Amino acid sequence: MNYEIVCGIETHIELATKTKIFCGCTTEFGGEPNTHCCPVCTGQPGTLPILNQKVVEYAIKAGLALNCKINTKSHMDRKNYVYPDLPKAYQISQYDEPLCEKGYIELDSGKRIGITRIHIEEDAGKLVHENGYTYIDYNRGGVPLIEIVSEPDISSAEEAREYAEKLQLTMRYIGISDCKMQEGSMRCDVNLSLRKPGDPNFGVRTEIKNINSLSFIQKAVIAEAERQADILDAGGTVVQQTMRYDEATNSVTPMRDKENSDDYRYFPDPDILRFCIDEAKVEEIRASLPELPFAKLRRYVNDLGLPEATAKQISRYRKVAEFFEGALAEGASVKNAANLIVGTIFSNMDTEEEKELFAVRISAAQFAALVKLADEKKINIGVAQSTLQKMLESGKPVEEFIKPEDLVGISDEVLENLCREAIEANPRAVDDVRNGKDKAINVMFGYIMKKTGGKADIRKAEALLRKLIGP
Amino acid sequence: MAISKAEIEKLAKLAKLSFSDEELERFTAEFDEIIAFADTINQSIEGGTEQIRSVGARMVSFDDLRPDEVMPSLPNEKILSNVEGYNGFFSVERSKK
Amino acid sequence: MRAGISELAIKLRNREISAVELTKAYIDAIEKLNPTLNAYVHLTFDIALKAAEQADQMLKEGDAPPLCGIPMALKDNICTDGLPTTCCSRILTGFKPYYDATVWEKLKKQGAVLLGKTNMDEFAMGSTSETSCYGAPLNPRNTNYVTGGSSGGSAAAVCANLAVYSLGSDTGGSIRQPASFCGVVGLKPTYGAVSRYGLIAYGSSLDQIGPLTNSVKDAAIVFDAVRGGDKRDQTSVDYDYGPSLTQCLEQDVKGLRIGVAEEFFEGINPEIKSKIEEAIALLEKNGAKIEHIRLPALKLALPVYYIIACAEASSNLGRYDGIRYGYRTASYTSIEEMIVKTRSEGFGDEVKRRIMLGTYVLSSGYYDAYYKKACLIREEINREFDAVFETCDVLVAPTAPNTAFPLNYKGASPVEIYLSDICTVPVNIAGVPAISVPCGVDAKGLPIGMQIIGKKFDEATVLQVAHFYEQSAGEVIGAYEGGAGI
Repeated sequence: MNYEIVCGIETHIELATKTKIFCGCTTEFGGEPNTHCCPVCTGQPGTLPILNQKVVEYAIKAGLALNCKINTKSHMDRKNYVYPDLPKAYQISQYDEPLCEKGYIELDSGKRIGITRIHIEEDAGKLVHENGYTYIDYNRGGVPLIEIVSEPDISSAEEAREYAEKLQLTMRYIGISDCKMQEGSMRCDVNLSLRKPGDPNFGVRTEIKNINSLSFIQKAVIAEAERQADILDAGGTVVQQTMRYDEATNSVTPMRDKENSDDYRYFPDPDILRFCIDEAKVEEIRASLPELPFAKLRRYVNDLGLPEATAKQISRYRKVAEFFEGALAEGASVKNAANLIVGTIFSNMDTEEEKELFAVRISAAQFAALVKLADEKKINIGVAQSTLQKMLESGKPVEEFIKPEDLVGISDEVLENLCREAIEANPRAVDDVRNGKDKAINVMFGYIMKKTGGKADIRKAEALLRKLIGP
Repeated sequence: MAISKAEIEKLAKLAKLSFSDEELERFTAEFDEIIAFADTINQSIEGGTEQIRSVGARMVSFDDLRPDEVMPSLPNEKILSNVEGYNGFFSVERSKK
Repeated sequence: MRAGISELAIKLRNREISAVELTKAYIDAIEKLNPTLNAYVHLTFDIALKAAEQADQMLKEGDAPPLCGIPMALKDNICTDGLPTTCCSRILTGFKPYYDATVWEKLKKQGAVLLGKTNMDEFAMGSTSETSCYGAPLNPRNTNYVTGGSSGGSAAAVCANLAVYSLGSDTGGSIRQPASFCGVVGLKPTYGAVSRYGLIAYGSSLDQIGPLTNSVKDAAIVFDAVRGGDKRDQTSVDYDYGPSLTQCLEQDVKGLRIGVAEEFFEGINPEIKSKIEEAIALLEKNGAKIEHIRLPALKLALPVYYIIACAEASSNLGRYDGIRYGYRTASYTSIEEMIVKTRSEGFGDEVKRRIMLGTYVLSSGYYDAYYKKACLIREEINREFDAVFETCDVLVAPTAPNTAFPLNYKGASPVEIYLSDICTVPVNIAGVPAISVPCGVDAKGLPIGMQIIGKKFDEATVLQVAHFYEQSAGEVIGAYEGGAGI
């Protein structure tokens, strides 16, 4: 039987603030156990939380980037549950007055996946189970998180992956998180149920917790949809429970119950005053947002005339786009700049992370200087590529590799003389060309390029040679 | 409204408390009276629908929130000063006789 | 007459007595009387003597603050770096914080001499201090009676002159009611006037630290020393009180509008009622205008208080799980069981009752009917107080409906004991300041307290009326014989 997938994703993202959400301890990843801690983030009696302004700002940024409505009044709630990684026995979170609500992410297909809400909360500590002991490190306790909850609008594994990927890209773009799924700074929980096509009612859903890569999201959705379909086909019913995706076996299995009841007894945290963010502040934060990747993509295609594939590769990474736009601002042409970035610079970068970081040794202006030589046809594209490679390796500007005297001198007159020389030096090739062996003209090209150190305009040379050789 | 022993047990589980049978009997009886006392608020004033907020009506603005400036953390010995730690970790044996 | 803080300050500055000598006198008195009274649960004499030496040095150098060299006590729920802070609960056995409460940090800087930590109801939950895991403190006025609670040890220490002053905390009357039972002065400041950082929380939206003293003037001096905004407590307010609240004390009550709400007098012991009425008559005779007003929502204050305080407490006390500090049970088969056993063995019955009630009123299905409803009524009570303070400068009421209970008095039920907080809890719900001053004794010779309630951040008028009453009423209650004798 065919079923329709109904899927929503809850994403936790660690914010890249300097300090924790309620105290001045650093959020730096790692560190010796319990060294990024103080009385507040270890829940010592008598201590009180003081909300970090940057956390609110970053959450609003996320909300604006995801087309949300920003609640100008908001407050923190306590979510009560006892577990050793939670030193106060409650997590300070937001329940009924989240900072952001009602946004969306647009997929490539044009379909919009609704964002129900974005709220801020604190992360828990880390447990290590070893030798019959549980060891606890609270370094991560109190690191700020945003939780982004989607509507159950996702209806395929591909859409689930694309949603998460677009979300990751956007959060990195606006600079609020590095969203490294392997390190846990972005974690996804997938809610999934099946229903018969056209059925207005939702089926029983399960929640797959803590998926830590984009491809696993896709695989987990497929695996869980198959598992549920098998149950339904056999006339069974799906049990509402929390699941774990096991990447080794590509299967979804129920998680051992934490023995925690679902009754979190939320109530407003009396230690933290309700806060308001006026419209002007929201607008100020909106103005600080960079142009988002999807807007850039559209602009690159529609206004700059870049092919979709190239535009996508450049707009995907904020630093690449900035480098590209920096070069354009210096007068580089769209086409040559884009092709050199995607063709030459990216060939030095194997991973997404490297492209994300885009640590190149030359500035956008230096890059533009090279691109302009190619634009003005003072060098051909092959030379541009090899020179760029040398520049990237050495960090030196274009002048180090191409001297001014190399660029002048190949005037039309010189080129014509060179063509005559080439014809005289290669009589057999000339005969071959006359006899229809067109490829023989390459012999003359080789001669000219060798003489000019590759700087001759090959098209001009071809036209001249054909004129001189005659039909 | 009488509260059942089962309900008391459920609450105890949430509160991470356990009671002996004798304590449970006593607590259930006392709790009935305490709930009846708490219930007196429902005998008057019709409940509104407005949302409740933390600490009354006082509010702060964005500018009053804490600036994101790192303060030194405390040495690990201080953090663990009230407990027997292990290699810098808080540590709990998972079972003990 | 016992010397007040300002007289002692003069003696210290004139070298009539050194801070070390003064401290030793208090240590002697504590050693003599505390075994009976049980006012202190942790003694810090070594630290006190060191602090006294330093205070003498500060005094010698001149320019010492008013509280420099004055021996004092802190309630056992106020965190003191390196010193035991246990809330008189088994679950905090051996706990020594590695940070100071803001109030203690402030006092330490001014050269205060800490004699020890005082007895209290476990986690400040109680009206008699009998829920302390160290046993009840005894009322110095009559040791067959309780001190009141929860700051019973703080009240007893000041009453018996085992400290010049002490700090307590007040969530539903825990400073004012023991002050009233022991015949001393107790001030609960406006919510937010004093930082709560380092005060181990009971009901966070109600808790407030304040002084217990032998006179209204001393209360003003101590309040001056501990008040002020704190960046570590977002609910604190940096209110501009001017340089010192002692300046307002010399004014009389002429023209002041004093509100009397009949709701405060319902079910009050007639002896107490008549003493308060005498006091009101005295104020009226001296030019105050008496306004008879109504506070209809007051009858709901008590259940509202118990619902809100217990809800907050059930959450605040979740952290006592045996993992990071305090008591841990001896044997268990899982961490979950360790936590449950630690808590069941570590908390006393009253704490468990309140955690259970708090858990109940927040749990799904009951939240709206209890917690949310209580918060709405709290807003209504606030509105009534706001309205009353449009026409009155202060309200006068009894502090408690009864004088001290005999020891081990259980009442018919926990609820009957809860009812004794009827006069004090509305003040915490509204977050306004109030003071309890002695206004006489009952037939058994037990002290009676009068409560003066003001509008938010108007401690000045509260202290002014209390001081005027204290001065014009004269000796309403016999002096305590014994203690440090200074």
